Order: sequence, then structure tokens, then C-alpha cells
Amino acid sequence: MDGMKRIRTILFWAGVALLLLSAANAEDKCLACHSQMGDKPSKMFLGDVHNKKGITCAGCHGGNSNTDEVEEAMNSKKGYLGVPSGDAISQACANCHSNASRMVKEYQSDLTRKQLELLTGSVHGKLSTTGKERIVQCTTCHNAHGIVSATNPASPVYPLNVTKTCAKCHANATFMRQYNPALSIDQMEKYRTSVHGKKNAQGDAKVAACASCHGSHDIRSVADVKSKVYATNLPATCGKCHANAGYMKEYKIPSDQVKKFTSSVHGKALLEKNDLGAPSCNDCHGNHGAVPPGVESISKVCGTCHALNADLFSASPHKKAFDTRRLPECETCHGNHEIVSAPSELLGVSSDAVCARCHSETKNTKGYAVAKSMRQLVDSLEHEELHVNALVDDAQQRGIEMGEAEFKLRDVRQSRLESRTMVHSFSGEKMKEVIDKGLGVSSVVAAEVNLAVEDFYFRRWGLGVATLIISILAGSLYLMIRRIERAQAASSDIE
Amino acid sequence: MKSLWKRGYEWIGERVQLDELIEFMGKKYVPVHRHSIWYYFGGVSLFLFIIQVVTGILLLMYYKSGEELAFESIQFIMSKVQFGWLIRSVHSWAANLFVLAAMIHMFSVFFERSYRKPREMTWVTGMFMFFLALGFGFSGYLLPWNELAYFATKVGTDIAGVVPGVGKTIMEFLRGGEEVTGATLSRFFGLHVAVLPGIFTVFLSIHLVLVQLQGMTHPMEHEGGPRYEVKKMPFFPNFVLRDLLLWLIVLNVIAILAVFFPWELGRKADPFAPAPAGIRPEWYFLFMFQTLKYIPAQVWFIDGEVLGIMLFGVGGLLWLLVPFWDQKSSRGEKNRLINYVGLGVVGYIIALSILGWTA
Amino acid sequence: MKRSSEKTNQPIAPIDEPKRDFLKLILSGGFVAWAASVVYPVLMYLKPPHQAEVVVSTVKAGKLSELEKDSGKIIKFGTKPVILIRTGTGEVRAFSATCTHLDCTVQYKKDLGLIWCACHNGRYDLNGRNVAGPPPRPLNEYKVVVQGDEIAVHKV
Repeated sequence: MDGMKRIRTILFWAGVALLLLSAANAEDKCLACHSQMGDKPSKMFLGDVHNKKGITCAGCHGGNSNTDEVEEAMNSKKGYLGVPSGDAISQACANCHSNASRMVKEYQSDLTRKQLELLTGSVHGKLSTTGKERIVQCTTCHNAHGIVSATNPASPVYPLNVTKTCAKCHANATFMRQYNPALSIDQMEKYRTSVHGKKNAQGDAKVAACASCHGSHDIRSVADVKSKVYATNLPATCGKCHANAGYMKEYKIPSDQVKKFTSSVHGKALLEKNDLGAPSCNDCHGNHGAVPPGVESISKVCGTCHALNADLFSASPHKKAFDTRRLPECETCHGNHEIVSAPSELLGVSSDAVCARCHSETKNTKGYAVAKSMRQLVDSLEHEELHVNALVDDAQQRGIEMGEAEFKLRDVRQSRLESRTMVHSFSGEKMKEVIDKGLGVSSVVAAEVNLAVEDFYFRRWGLGVATLIISILAGSLYLMIRRIERAQAASSDIE
Repeated sequence: MKSLWKRGYEWIGERVQLDELIEFMGKKYVPVHRHSIWYYFGGVSLFLFIIQVVTGILLLMYYKSGEELAFESIQFIMSKVQFGWLIRSVHSWAANLFVLAAMIHMFSVFFERSYRKPREMTWVTGMFMFFLALGFGFSGYLLPWNELAYFATKVGTDIAGVVPGVGKTIMEFLRGGEEVTGATLSRFFGLHVAVLPGIFTVFLSIHLVLVQLQGMTHPMEHEGGPRYEVKKMPFFPNFVLRDLLLWLIVLNVIAILAVFFPWELGRKADPFAPAPAGIRPEWYFLFMFQTLKYIPAQVWFIDGEVLGIMLFGVGGLLWLLVPFWDQKSSRGEKNRLINYVGLGVVGYIIALSILGWTA
Repeated sequence: MKRSSEKTNQPIAPIDEPKRDFLKLILSGGFVAWAASVVYPVLMYLKPPHQAEVVVSTVKAGKLSELEKDSGKIIKFGTKPVILIRTGTGEVRAFSATCTHLDCTVQYKKDLGLIWCACHNGRYDLNGRNVAGPPPRPLNEYKVVVQGDEIAVHKV
């Protein structure tokens, strides 16, 4: 009897094993069959993360993966989708990836579930040229059958691979012409000349690649206010790495650029006033070909906006002087990220003036004289401007109308601003010309104000004259009355 | 060789009874006594009214009624029009002096009992003119459409709305709607430059004709007792010339005020801004305004404000009708009550105005 | 002419003839001077000033509490349309609502977060600058002053 029992146990467990085996095989009959056929997708699917998680072909294609009978397995009436095309592809992915109960409960994944939603709202979510589906589907970037995690070096969206993936379309002129003929297609090329691109090519996965700045599913046009690389958002995007001291430690460059920029005049204009005329990181550094500008080209870069200053500087004696000494042109006096509005104190020969760093009474004396004179001229105009503004205010307080004067004062202010640009010519004569113009207008306005104030006092004088006339008239009238009454009294006496 | 004057006189004389008129005028005289000085205030009020009419017409040349432009047009007058500052400040100062002179005139007439028979209608027309003068002040005050004026009008018309029964109708009629808006400004403008001047002129004409026909009153002490000759001076030319002299001085005073204390414009009215602190009406309304503040919210079953308005209404009516209930004075008898009433009223007005000003 | 009392036939102190003329002269001269000092300012006042009349410079634009964040509305400024914008952060701005392309009236488009012209798809950012489409110039800005709950728009 024990023998029988043992055989029954073995048979039982064999049966279970067979069941399990068949069950295991029943897990993906599609894959089994198609692999036998030498199907490439099936081969790729073997390395796919979905396969590893136990998802069958039917998970995306529909149908029944428990049978290898074609009529059963690939029956469209029973849910078989075939090869999905167009938006149906992304929908197939989204059926799980946007589903909380699937992703969290079943697979305990902390992946975001917004991919399709973001994609639909992104620039890639627009309709393609067929008009029937989106330009980009999930599989466009992630592939269909060999999908691995984005952190896996084999993934097409891994930082070291993502440039090639994006370039598949974005470096293809024929393709891009269909959608945005004005958009350049040399991003990859430029990228490879940049510090990021070079390091990326050498295998550094930490540096910025396409998705680091542009985002992944939520890529928007650069002109879109919500884009990560829109001008006002860019400093924060660059700052994700560049402002992180720990992240940047091995690269041995500072990580305070964003902080400095935010408090600079450019940062305030861009980030606080939303002035798109102000430079964002890419305006000076480039975007795909990002490299800090070289010593001799700084004035050219700043000059893309500050054209007048750059031209004056390039024609001035400082250009040669700075370049031969390898001094970074504009940056030497103004800084790079932390640029603030230049105070008058920057100019001149006192200890806090930047000119004094090179020019003194004994060294570089010609420049010393020019610096001194320029400062004096600027000071005199500033002083005059304050003075005439005070005159106008004073008159206004007295109730005198100053609209015309205020209008003219704009010219004085203009002169002052022009003089700040003219500093960059480092020429005493040119400065004097500009300053004299301002001083001229200022004295005209001062004269007008004085005239207006004189009118104010004229009223008092006028009153004095009127009072005098009235007094004379009243006095003579009084005398006349007295005379009449005396005459009346006399005549009544006579009666 | 006849002078131009004589030629003119003759020309008119051939068409109108000039001789009788001149003879009548020549007989007019003014009593001279220690209270004569008060006789001048009627003329001063008239002079100030004339100044108001002249400067008012001049301001009309540049003032633009309407919410968008009223304030700015006065700014314009003050700054861009030559002597505009002068015309405007004169108009504002003379307005206040006009009310003051009218009050002095009214009270001096009261204390002299000049309202007694046969001059009852002179008093009544004068009182109507006084109420109209207050109306001029109230309506004119709004015309610059500045902050102070806006809120003063709001409060003032609110009070009008308190009168039981017809109050709300009166208020909406005054405001041209439920709130003080541009419509109110238009109405007040029409009232100030057309309606009130028209009505005022009627009463003024009656008043002046009566004064000319009836002459100046004698003070009461001179009557009833032994009829002795009262010192007098001819109306023409003496009183007239003296009047003119006083008017010249008043004119000079106004000019000095206009130059050294130019009338402010303040800020443009902003219905949505909160009322500035210390909002109060012009000084001649202060005593009523302050009285209303002191009356408790509820007296008996009557709402406090209503009671106040009614009391002022009744008081005003009694004041208007004094020639009819002060029979004693009409008979030439002394009536001490009038002195007490008058002093009481003057004292009350002064006291509450001070309280209202310093509050 | 010598005056004498009729009763007593005594001569009375003669009235100074020159003084009479002098006083009358002063009186008439004074009167003329006074008349001139009154008429002159009045005439100068009536003379039209350089700027003939007053010009509109301010318009009330409604209550702040009635203007939602991230919205815009058109108001009338004298004879011109002005678009009043309240940004997402609550700031109030005003610009000319006449498109600089072909004078259509612009509007605020919430989904774009921009000022948009329906005629030819012109777009302006919230600083009035023309950023897309055919408009060649930015929109003129008007100054906005918010006092309490009241918005006032001033010409700059």
C-alpha cells in the first residue's frame, strides 16, 4: 500500500508540474509560435521589459495568447487588434500606462501615468500630414518590441542614445520640411560641437541630451510659453543641473550662475518683467552648440543687443589693449552672469572705479586723463538734471503747469543715457559732444521754469498794482464824498 | 454847448418820464445813526452777486460739464487760460463772501426789526433769495467734480432723502437717479447757471424795487417817542458813493484772497474710492450738519435724522414768517423776544459751526 | 465865482478851484485806471489760449473684483477702444485694442495666454508686443492705476 501512495504522490506532483509547464507555455503561445517562425519582433520581445513582467503579445495586440490555434488566437471578433496603426498604437500603450489600477496595483510601478496626455498636448501631438493620426506615437521613440526602461543603456531614449533617436526625424530635412520648413535640422551637428555634446559622445550620461532640456512627452515649441526652453523658463531648466552643486562637482565649474543671473539686470528683466528682449542662457551661450563665448568674441555676443556699445568699443583703443592682454572684453568691467546696471562710480579714477585698475597718474596716463574728464562730464550732467528736475517739481508744487517743461526734460534724460553708451568710445571729445547737448536743453528748461515762476510772482505784483489803483481811486472817492458832504453841510448852514 | 450827459438826458426825457423819477430819487434819504453801518450790507451782497454773475459767465466760456471733462476743464482754466486762475478763485471766494454778507444783512435786518410793516414782503423775498443763495452754493460746489464736492453732495442729498414721504423723490430728483453720478452733475449745472439765476433775478427785482419805493427803515428808538428830526443823508449821491467806496474795498479784498489763497482743486472725484477722512459740507451748512450728528439715532418713535430735518424745517419757516408773528414790532413796541431769539440763533450757528469745523 | 452867504453877505472861504479840478482829475483818472485793471484781465481771459480746449486723459474702467484673473475686456476710451487685461498673476494692463495691421479690434485669448486678432491671426504678448502674424508694430500701452477696487486707465 505505501508503494501505491508514493506513486500517487509522484503522479500528482508530475501532473501539477505538467499543468504548470503547460500553463507556463500557455502564458504566451503567440510568442512561442512566432519565435519558431523566426519573427524579428518576437526575437526583440524576448529582451522587452513587458515580457519580463509577464505581459504577452495579446497585451498590446489583443486576441488570445493561451492558444496557438490561429482562429482562436487571432480572431478579430474576439478582441484581436492586429498590428495597430496610427493613434491606436499609443492608445494600446495607454490602456495600461495611463491606468492607475494596472500600473500601481498590479505592477507596483511608480512611473508617471501622464505620458499620453502630455504627448497629446505637446507639439508632437499635433496631427500628421495624413490628417488621421498624431505625428509621433509611443513606438516612434521607444520602439515597439524591444522596449526597455529609459535608464537602461540599451534604450533608444537613454541619454547616450536619445540624440540619434530624435535626429531620426529632426535631422531629416525632407521629413521636417513637411511640418516646419523654418526649423533647423542641424541640432545634432551643433550639439556635437558643444561641451554637452562632446562629453555625451564620450559616454557621459550625466550631461544634457535632448530630453534633459526639451522634456520627453511634453515637448512644446520654443515659442510656447509653457515650453521648458521658453526664454523665461530656460534658466530654471539649465539650472536643474548647473545650479546643483553636488551634481556639478566633478566638472569643476561654478554652480552659482543661475543665482547670479536672477539678481542681474538681465535676469530681472527676463524673469520679473517678462521682457523677452532680455537674454536667456541660450542667447549668450548658444542652445545646441552651447559653449561660453571666447575672450575676443564677448563684445560681439553682447553686441547682438548692445550693438552701439560693441561698435564703439571695437573702434576704441581698448579693443586691442584688452585682446592682447587676454582680458574678456565686456566682462572685465561688467561681469558675466551678475551684470547690474552700471553705476556712475564705475567710471573715473577713484578707488572704486574700474578704470583705476589699469590707469593711474603714473601708469597709462593718457587713459587716466580721459577717464577723469569723462567722469567729470557725466557728473555735471547728472547734477544739472537733478537741479532742473527739482526746479520743475518746485514750480509744480506752486501750482504752475509744467507739462511742456517735463516734455523737454526727456531730452536731458536721453542725453544722460546716450552718454552712458558713449563711455565705450573712451574718447573725451565724443563724450563732451553728447553731454553738452544735454546741458543745453537743461539750461533752456531752467530758463522756462524761471519764467513760469516769474509769472507766479507777477500775480503778486499785479495785485500790488491793482491795489494801488484801487487805493488811489478809493482815496479820491472818499475825498470827493467828504467834499460833497461838506458842501451840503455848508449849504444847509446857510439856509 | 450842452455836455454829452445833458444831451443824453434830454433825449431819454423826451421818451420816458425822467424828471419825475429824478425828483423822486433826489428825495430819497438814508437815516444816519449808530446802526447805519448795517445798511451797507444789502449793497455789498448785491455787489458780490454781480461779481458772481460776471465771473460765472466768464467761467462758462471754458467750463465743460460732464464727468469726463468737468475736473479737467477747471484744471485747464487754472493753468492754461490767461487769468483763469484769477476768475476762478474770485468766483469761489466771492461765493463764500456772498453767503456771509447775506447772513450779516439778514441778521442785521432781523435785529433792527426792519421786516416789520410795511416791509414784510421785502423780508420774504430776501429770505427766498437767501435760500436760493444756499442752493447756488450747494449746486456750484459740485461743478468741479472733485473728491470733496462729490462726497459733500452725496451726504447732502442723502439728508434731503430723509424727509418723510417726499424725501426719496426729492433726493432722486436732485441726483438725477439713485446715486450721485454724471447725471447729478448735469442737473446741478443746469440749476446753477439757468434755473436759480432766473428765479433769483425775479426775487431780487422785487426786493430792490420795494427798497427803492419804501426807502430805508428808521431804527425803532426814533419812532413812537417825540418826533424829532432824524439825521439823514441823501441816497444820491452820498449813500451811493459811500456804497461804491465800500464795494471797491471789497473788490480789493477779494483780489488779495484770490492771489494769496488761491482756491484748491484737489483730486478728481472717484465714486469707488472711500470717502476721504473729515468729509464735511461748506461752512454755511456746517451747523446743520453738526446738529444732525448730535441728535441720537432714535428719539421716541421718530428717526433722529428725520427729527433734525423737521426741526430745521419748522425753524426756517418760523424765521421766514417773523414779520407776521412779531406783531409787537409792527406796532412800534419793543419786543425783547426778538433779541433773544436772534442772539440764540446766531450763537447756535456760530457754536455749532465751530464744533463742526474742529471736529 | 465867488460864493457868499445870502443872509450875512459875508464871504465864505473860497473853494479851491485848482483842488477841485485836481481831485476830479484823480477821480476820473483813477476810475479809468481801475476800469482798465478790470477789463484787461477779462479780455486776456477771453482770448483763446494756445491749447484751445481740454483733452480727455482718464477713463474709469470698472471694478477690479469684476475682472477675472487671466481674462480681458474691451472698454471705450473717449472714441477709441482699449483692451484691459488681467494677467494670471493678477496684474492689470491696458493697451490700444486697434490692431496695428489693418485696424481690427483685438481680443484676449485665454488658451493662448495672448492678445489675438481674429482678422488675420495676429498675436501680441501681454506687453503689447507683436509676436506672431502680420501686425508690424506693438499695441500702444495705456497706464493703469488701481485704487481700491476701481480701475482707472490713463493715456500715457
